Amino acid sequence: MTTTVIATRSLSKTFSMRARTIEAVRDISFEVARGERLAYIGPNGAGKSTSIKILTGILHPTAGEATVLGYVPWRDRRKLTMRIGTLFGQRSQLWFELTPRQSFRMLAAVYRMDARVAERRVAELGELLDATDLFDAPARTHSLGQRMRCELAACLLHGPEIVFLDEPTIGLDLLAKQRFRELLVTLNEEAGITIFLTSHDVADIEHVARRAIVINHGSVIHDADVAAMRRTLLSRKLVEVTFADEVPAPMLSGVEVLAHTGTTLELAVDTDVRSVRDVLDEVLGDRRVVDITVLDPPLEDVIAEIYQS
Amino acid sequence: MTLRLILTSMATAARRNTSDRSSVLVNIVFFVVVASVMSALWRAAAEANGGEIVGYSVVAVTWYALAAEAATVSLNMRMIELVCDDIASGAVATELLRPASVLGVRISMAIGAALPRLAVCCAAAAVLGPIVGGAPPRALGVVLAIPALVLAIACNLVAQHAVAAAAFWARDVRAVWFLYQKIVFVLGGMVLPLQVLPDGLERTAMLLPFMTMAYVPSRLAAGFIEPELLLLQVAWLGVLLVTAHLVFTAGERRLQVVGG
Repeated sequence: MTTTVIATRSLSKTFSMRARTIEAVRDISFEVARGERLAYIGPNGAGKSTSIKILTGILHPTAGEATVLGYVPWRDRRKLTMRIGTLFGQRSQLWFELTPRQSFRMLAAVYRMDARVAERRVAELGELLDATDLFDAPARTHSLGQRMRCELAACLLHGPEIVFLDEPTIGLDLLAKQRFRELLVTLNEEAGITIFLTSHDVADIEHVARRAIVINHGSVIHDADVAAMRRTLLSRKLVEVTFADEVPAPMLSGVEVLAHTGTTLELAVDTDVRSVRDVLDEVLGDRRVVDITVLDPPLEDVIAEIYQS
Repeated sequence: MTLRLILTSMATAARRNTSDRSSVLVNIVFFVVVASVMSALWRAAAEANGGEIVGYSVVAVTWYALAAEAATVSLNMRMIELVCDDIASGAVATELLRPASVLGVRISMAIGAALPRLAVCCAAAAVLGPIVGGAPPRALGVVLAIPALVLAIACNLVAQHAVAAAAFWARDVRAVWFLYQKIVFVLGGMVLPLQVLPDGLERTAMLLPFMTMAYVPSRLAAGFIEPELLLLQVAWLGVLLVTAHLVFTAGERRLQVVGG
């Protein structure tokens, strides 16, 4: 039996800024079941952060209803915060001059955790996040990727049932991003934590989420399984290849040449028709290659496709 | 706010503040320089006035200046600015996501950060005082001045948070910080004993909370055994806490409705 842990109905938020009003969130309705991995995605300014602030109780909506774990977030914020975790990519929960372990002690007092229980939990999280070594060095000495693992530990310390992550991978390098995504999947699969992830990075959806809600201009424009999205909207990959010598433009089915400047090729590959590997085999042959990049299409392109379809 | 959270917040801030030894050293040097200059000025004024000024002897005025500077140097006078920045940047909004009073944690941490600096200033004053002015006029006065200094810092930091909460409504409150600082310097007795002020202003200053922030511990350190001043500090601390709580709560509510 699935349990709904987040439910919104006709949720709206309007900000009044002197002479003008901004509808940041407009008539949003959705439900999230316990244990789901949801990506809540949209371009900058789409209303993702406003939605997350309403669902965590920081903001009052202008209209509509919402419950999170049975609480009305803006009315029962204190009670709700005991059962949810939040991680804002651009806002640290750690004190930079202190070691994460010292910050965890402070957070344990905030969440009224027994000191011994908190110590045990820190040890568990250290193992789970492969971060034990990081806990005893001042947070200011960590790389962004290392710090985000410690931030995640801080967010999970009190054993939340839902974790809201607002752009957690922003600024991370590719390896750190990949590692962070794997951690989120592990947390969901091993601890059953519901993941509510906002991002404007298409790869976050593909690697973390099982379901994605796409939001644009404050409204939900798409709500589907990621597997279905992958077939319909995320089947395009961008491939950029730089060769040592001039090459002709390829003529392959499922491949669109976006740019060709003698030694460089920019291709859009429809992976439903042909895999990226196939395309690379065909294009590279025995030519001398300087550089290869495979990218996801920008979120704006995905949204444009949603509107077209 | 639980006692454990208050103490943990204070300890966390104290540890964070003392982790940088160079800043502790700068703190001592700054205190010694400022306290030496201020006490020299007031000693010169007292000596020029027949060895006494508004009831303070040369030695008493030295200890007044030392205590007043300890109350000033121990705390971060830019706290208002920092709180304002945190409100404007949205840092306070994310602190709402913890099941604890934002104001309570912030004040506990601010006091915790100030206490090690106060201890350093008191130690420096214990060495500097006898060298520049002589032994304290009354030992009991110095004993009473220590809790008075802690209360002075608490009153000041709570008042700064109450004032800083203006940032929930106005974006730029730097002018408020500037005004607050000047008021505390004059009406709080930081640069001069309140008895030096003209009668009307002195009476006004005695009715305001600012006198708890420097005048009270300094008066006690100067040898005036007036323990009722400690009770006055406690009463004002209560009033300031209630005020800060009401203003911050209203500000948080506004933040929730209007956004950051």
